[in-house]
Amino acid sequence: MTVRKFRPPNRLASMIKDRGGILAKDALAAAEANVETLRESSLAALDAALEAIEARFGPGAPDRASEEFETLYTMTLKVVDVSGFAADAGVDEAAVSLCALVDACAEAQAWRWDAVDVHLSALRLLRNVGASLPAEHRRGMLDGLHKVVQR
Amino acid sequence: MPEPLNPSTRINLERATVLVLDDNGASLDILSGVVSGFGVRTLHRAESVRDAQALVKIHTFDLIISDVQMPEVDGYEFIQWLRREAPEQNRYVPVILVTGHTRISQVFKNRDAGSNFTVAKPITPKILLERIFWVAREERAFIECDTYIGPDRRFKHEGPPPGTDGRRKDDLQGEVGDAQEPNMSQEEINNLMKVAKVQI
Repeated sequence: MTVRKFRPPNRLASMIKDRGGILAKDALAAAEANVETLRESSLAALDAALEAIEARFGPGAPDRASEEFETLYTMTLKVVDVSGFAADAGVDEAAVSLCALVDACAEAQAWRWDAVDVHLSALRLLRNVGASLPAEHRRGMLDGLHKVVQR
Repeated sequence: MPEPLNPSTRINLERATVLVLDDNGASLDILSGVVSGFGVRTLHRAESVRDAQALVKIHTFDLIISDVQMPEVDGYEFIQWLRREAPEQNRYVPVILVTGHTRISQVFKNRDAGSNFTVAKPITPKILLERIFWVAREERAFIECDTYIGPDRRFKHEGPPPGTDGRRKDDLQGEVGDAQEPNMSQEEINNLMKVAKVQI
């Protein structure tokens, strides 16, 4: 097998050092300000995604056993996408944990509904009161979710 | 691993042309907001790989930030297309992948896609700016072979695994044995740093 090793020109490398520009801390502040304008719409998207998951995969969903793993995985990724606005509540970490769970279910080709239900309950709770929970309680809940996935 | 970004470092991304790709509109808005905040003035958005490919064919990009999980064609396949089939001016452009989760079955696919870095979602401006900074200071060479095109996947140069000769010309040969002498004292180290007159 022929392997070619080379250094292509990196245009970004030269332009990032151009005169002018802004300090990294100012760039971060501007980015944070831009993102902040999306808080309301992002949280609305997050709540809509959680509701949709609950409707199709919650304990009361009649056809959830016949749903595909990919469906819940994709729906949960939509929660992760916008969960930065609820990171203080631990929603981001719980959603990633649900992705890991669904991925493990897909690998095993078997749903673990008890584990799914625990995640959905945790997501609901964290979204509602996660930010006001004592940090150690929130941590304990998230650690518990990770353990459930690894079981 | 590259150094963290210093808050007082000056960066200039005004002339950079950046493509952001994400099939989730809300996520694409966040990515675009972050990148615009960094001072990028020419930002192209795409909500599908097909749209991104069309843009890559007509614009020259300095950076691409792409989601991984997308319907039909995913971010990994997009990068593989970019590295092999895109117009020459975009084939080696730095790429940062963003993903909410990496499936167990796709860990190797991620490694072999040819991106410069992968960033976990939800993205934060701090991490993304740091990775852009790292990409701009990229020191890794590109590797091109039948099975891979992209930045060298080895960050550390520790030589080939013990017991093998390595596959590359610059692989260090031989194993590193145990230290033969005790460590230097602090005083000895200090003496090495002292300014001393030398005869040329």
